[in-house]
Amino acid sequence: MVKHYRPPGKKKEGNAARYVTRSQAVKQLQVTLQLFRKLCIYKGVFPREPKKKVKGNHHTYYHVKDIAFIQHDPLLEKFREIRAYQKKITKAKAKANKELANILLTRQPSYKLDHVIRDRYPKFIDSLRDLDDCLTLVHLFAVLPAIDRVKIEVKRVHNCRRLSHEWQAYIARTHKLRKVFVSVKGIYYQAEVEGQKITWLTPHALQQVLTDDVDFGVMLTFLEFYETLLAFINFKLYHSINVKYPPILDPRLESLAADLYALSRYFDASSRASLMEPHVAGSSNLEQVDNQPDRKQHDESDVRLAQLQHQLPSNEPGALMHLVGDVGVDTDNDDDEDTRQCKNLFKNMKFFLSREVPRESLLFVIPAFGGVVSWDGDGAPFSEGDQSITYQIVDRPTQGHKYLSREYIQPQWVYDSVNARIILPTEAYTVGRVPPPHLSPFVDHEAEGYVPDYAETIKRLQAAAKNEVLPMPGVGKEDIDDPQNLLVEGYVSRAEAIEAAEKRQKMMTLEKQYHDELKKELQGVHDLSSVSNAIEQSPGKDAEAVKETLPDLKQIAEDAENMSTIVMSRKKRGLYKAMQIGKERKHSRVNLLKERKKKLVEETQKAKNN
Amino acid sequence: MKEKNNNKSNANEDLKTNEVPKTEGKNTNLFREESQEGELLPLSDEQISQLMQSQPPSEHESEAGESDDESEDYESLRQSDDGESESSEDDEDSAEIDSDLGQEDEPVDGAIESDSSEDEVAPRNTVGEVPLEFYQDEKHIGYDISGKKITKKERENKLDSLLASVDDSKNWRKIYDDYNDEEVEMTKEEMKIVRRLLEGKAPHADFDPHASYVDWFKWDDAKHPLSNAPEPKRRFIPSRWEAKKVVALVRAIREGRIKFDKPKEEPPVYLMWGDDSSSAEKSGHLTYFPAPKPKLPGHEESYNPSPEYIPTEEEINSYQLMYEEDRPKFIPKRFTSLRSIPAYENTIKESFERCLDLYLCPRVRKKRINIDPESLKPKLPSRKDLKPYPVACYLEYRGHKGAVLSVSTDSSGQWIASGSTDGTVRVWEVETGRCRRVWEIGETVNYVAWNPLPERPILAVSVGHDVILLNTGFGNEEEQKQVKELLHVDIDAAPLDSDKMASTVNWMQDDKHEGIRLRHFKTVSKVEWHRRGDYLSSVMPAGDSKAILIHQLSKKFSQRIPFRLHGLPVSSVFHPSRSFIFVATKKNVRVYDLFKQKLIKKLETGLQEVSSIAIHPGGDNVIVGSKEGKLCWFDMDLSSQPYRILKCHPKDITSVAFHRSYPLFASSSDDCTAYVFHGMVYSDLNQNPLIVPLEILRGHNSSNGRGVMDCKFHPRQPWLFTAGADSLIRLYCH
Repeated sequence: MVKHYRPPGKKKEGNAARYVTRSQAVKQLQVTLQLFRKLCIYKGVFPREPKKKVKGNHHTYYHVKDIAFIQHDPLLEKFREIRAYQKKITKAKAKANKELANILLTRQPSYKLDHVIRDRYPKFIDSLRDLDDCLTLVHLFAVLPAIDRVKIEVKRVHNCRRLSHEWQAYIARTHKLRKVFVSVKGIYYQAEVEGQKITWLTPHALQQVLTDDVDFGVMLTFLEFYETLLAFINFKLYHSINVKYPPILDPRLESLAADLYALSRYFDASSRASLMEPHVAGSSNLEQVDNQPDRKQHDESDVRLAQLQHQLPSNEPGALMHLVGDVGVDTDNDDDEDTRQCKNLFKNMKFFLSREVPRESLLFVIPAFGGVVSWDGDGAPFSEGDQSITYQIVDRPTQGHKYLSREYIQPQWVYDSVNARIILPTEAYTVGRVPPPHLSPFVDHEAEGYVPDYAETIKRLQAAAKNEVLPMPGVGKEDIDDPQNLLVEGYVSRAEAIEAAEKRQKMMTLEKQYHDELKKELQGVHDLSSVSNAIEQSPGKDAEAVKETLPDLKQIAEDAENMSTIVMSRKKRGLYKAMQIGKERKHSRVNLLKERKKKLVEETQKAKNN
Repeated sequence: MKEKNNNKSNANEDLKTNEVPKTEGKNTNLFREESQEGELLPLSDEQISQLMQSQPPSEHESEAGESDDESEDYESLRQSDDGESESSEDDEDSAEIDSDLGQEDEPVDGAIESDSSEDEVAPRNTVGEVPLEFYQDEKHIGYDISGKKITKKERENKLDSLLASVDDSKNWRKIYDDYNDEEVEMTKEEMKIVRRLLEGKAPHADFDPHASYVDWFKWDDAKHPLSNAPEPKRRFIPSRWEAKKVVALVRAIREGRIKFDKPKEEPPVYLMWGDDSSSAEKSGHLTYFPAPKPKLPGHEESYNPSPEYIPTEEEINSYQLMYEEDRPKFIPKRFTSLRSIPAYENTIKESFERCLDLYLCPRVRKKRINIDPESLKPKLPSRKDLKPYPVACYLEYRGHKGAVLSVSTDSSGQWIASGSTDGTVRVWEVETGRCRRVWEIGETVNYVAWNPLPERPILAVSVGHDVILLNTGFGNEEEQKQVKELLHVDIDAAPLDSDKMASTVNWMQDDKHEGIRLRHFKTVSKVEWHRRGDYLSSVMPAGDSKAILIHQLSKKFSQRIPFRLHGLPVSSVFHPSRSFIFVATKKNVRVYDLFKQKLIKKLETGLQEVSSIAIHPGGDNVIVGSKEGKLCWFDMDLSSQPYRILKCHPKDITSVAFHRSYPLFASSSDDCTAYVFHGMVYSDLNQNPLIVPLEILRGHNSSNGRGVMDCKFHPRQPWLFTAGADSLIRLYCH
């Protein structure tokens, strides 16, 4: 009997019954390959790796249940309908029946993806877990030029831009941004929403290179799903902070491409509106009130008008909404340590962005950490001449006219401060200087094994800041800005002292350990000598033996290591070895860095001597 | 056909009678043009008035009625052309008909001729339609109307003509007329006409090709209607089909199939996850594996990384030499300010690749082992608890001048014997390291083995093809006497041996060394004593079926083992308590019962080449060393597969040994080390043997790629003797 013979009438079993190849799946669904791919993207169906590949190694396998999942989806039927409808239109056109074609064109069937989203993400938290790719793609399309191209519609680009701004506005408003990293690829942001760390990449606001070797069809399919998903998520998030979702923005600001600012204004307005409601307790909104005095003066009537217009219908679900809202605000009050820290980082600071500074990113980051920001251009909340500005962010080689009341810094200062969660000293970031290295906040230095210098200084500064804040909060609050640096320096020295003490302690322990070991060794030798007493032995040989054992300390340790590997099973030994290789690779990487650094230091010293 | 002819003749006549019909032509064809052109206006006025007078509407009708017989009309036309200039009305009509018939070319032709050329210059030449080549060589081009020759004009110099053409702004309007041999300059009006013709329009600007049709038939007030049929009934009855259609529509409206108000726009977004608790139930789908998140960027991806993250020029160049897969995907760069960051060229490509990964890559949930590698190591009992075992080298036995291939301990533990490549066998006192005796054999000594019986201090030595049994001379006199007796071979007795074995083994008295020499037919690699001290086995790897021989000392008798050997024999060992023999071939080990003469067990080592074997004193456990550095522990009660394989040596294992009383075993290898293991065998059959590596013994030096050649335990102490290729024997003690 053949090995794989299956008697007729007996069902397939095991992997053969559970998995189908892609072509089988396409056949079963009776769709084209393109449509199948599209459905897979929408439904989140991915190939699986069966333990036994019945049809061969070069096929992709889908689970039968996944295919059934697609088959039972109304989308499939809808796509068929659309296809039939398209045929009708082409037929009408072919018969020169323009009238009919036009009528048909106006009534085209369309499909919706909301049920797919509900299906894939039964809980809100599930959708947040999968949000990284969504945000990255939406942000990418948001920076594509809004020119009518064959593949990418302008409408979609605008929609992406809107969605991304809405998301950013929410994050900034609720101070959920945690880390920012400016890389060569773009700017990475990491936010923490409902306990989920969400990281996304925004390309630099420059003309993107559109390559030919990219199938935009696939990307647009993904984008379509992501757009819908992000819209629903935004709705939910806005709902959670009691703001009506599709926000109505000030058209003037929108036209000036200051969408983010417009959105923040919208938030302010809506929170104010809720303030005016008699039910809401004033206390819950106090923090929001704090921010308002400086904004109120810039209020414009048209924004108010827009607010009022859309407030009217939103009042109807009134009471219940506010109950929910109160709860939401209450939870806001006891939000976690992180959020509070982020909220207060740039508190009482006023930033002004010069013309050349990339505005989008900073307009997002600074408010997210509690700062107030304006820019050089129309629609800005305050102008450059405002005397209360504390920091002006400049990205040019020299600054001509300087106000004495503010500091002129490079944009990197903002990002570094945000990542360090302290206000860094500004000397290194002043105009015209090469700023200190910008470090990734995503690196775990202990796991990596190498700590760059600047990370250490930041650590020290952090420690200093903590010390400063804890013992004497009164002093720290009185003089925030200028003397802080001095203080920090003072504490830096203190921190250094502490560190030195720690080091000494460590050294002590090491020494102690060494002594212990020596002692043990001596005991061992003692044992040996006792043995040698039993046996007659020439003293010369004894000495030789001792000599031999002494340099072998390292060897002994190594042997001890080896001992247990000998007894391991082959599988475990392989695993162990692989781990060792990984460790070694990491070690070599770190060594390379150290070597490079050593070389650099030497070079600089040489240059100095010369 | 007729019409065409007529027209042609008409044209000809035009040509001939150029004086007379000149005005006529104008009248007939171009009366519409005149309204525009100022110079011709006076004439046209007259003519229009003439036309108005001479064309009563009734005649129009009649002519239309008579349009069937056009030929007649043309007759009259010709007549009028010939003679009377007065009868212009007829002419007019005919022209109109002409144009009606659709022959638009003719009238246009006429127009040009009549209008321009004929007006200003009469055709001088009268040669007719003669090809002009006829006059090519003549001095004249033809004849004028009076019959005189028309002489050719002087040809202008080409250069002059070019200059002239450049100077003259109107030059482009000039056309050379071959026929008349003259230059004609076209007027602006003519140019306009030509232009219109080129555009495919009617030559005259005012001509309307799509004039609205004027119906000549009067429909009302006719005495006799065209049809006298009465109005049909259906014109007064409501349509049944229409009624049906209306009913269908009404029904559709009632049933709601037709809606008049536009479908309500559903809000594109709404609160999807209103209450999470309600949607907590599990969906029936497969488990969803979230895609792995992209790797977060490290310091090196920063726009302004620390300088040590930036590779040097040479390093970047060296990347070119790497395999493409190994090459780093991203080379860190440094930009000193935010404004100088360029656009990243792979942004779209990378996000596209991510998209592809998301929907094309098979996903498998893999457990990432995030454990401390140390935790993989098995928990071993502390070595301190397993003491005593050999730890360090105490003694070196120096004296051999070549690699020591084998050592053997005396049963009392007082002496060791060693054989070396320098052709000597030495006996050492263990505790002092003093060499007690030396035999100069003169050939490489492969193997030495003490007789296990204390009262028989006999040493079996394998040298080349021989096995020599040496009397060491230890023991009291009585013992010596017995030994000497044993080691005496009657020269007569030898040929009495069975004929078969005579060829393979020769028992001879060795006078030089006071022993017996057993001459084999092939090189003997190993000699092993039976526990009773009477039998010994020798192994000749090249001996085919007689590779393993068993010799009986008391009877001076040799025999081959009665089993077929499978593969090249490596070693043979007697069972410590039963009448079994273990035969190790290169691949596996077979256990035979010598008494019953049958195979007991076959141990599958799974090794490439077995090099040595040792039996646990209990007899149920076997260790086998191999040339790939692996050590197999067989528990014969458990299975024929190895219970444990220890990969300890990087090079060949040369020898393995069990301690006779302590739970110790050791392996020595060409990597100059010997491993000591704790190997506890329990009498409880349910408990597996415990194997713990204890110590790595070093000290020997490598020579010629060989390290430690042999290792043997002291019979009573936990001491280990190792024989090295560096001509030393070492003693390791606890």
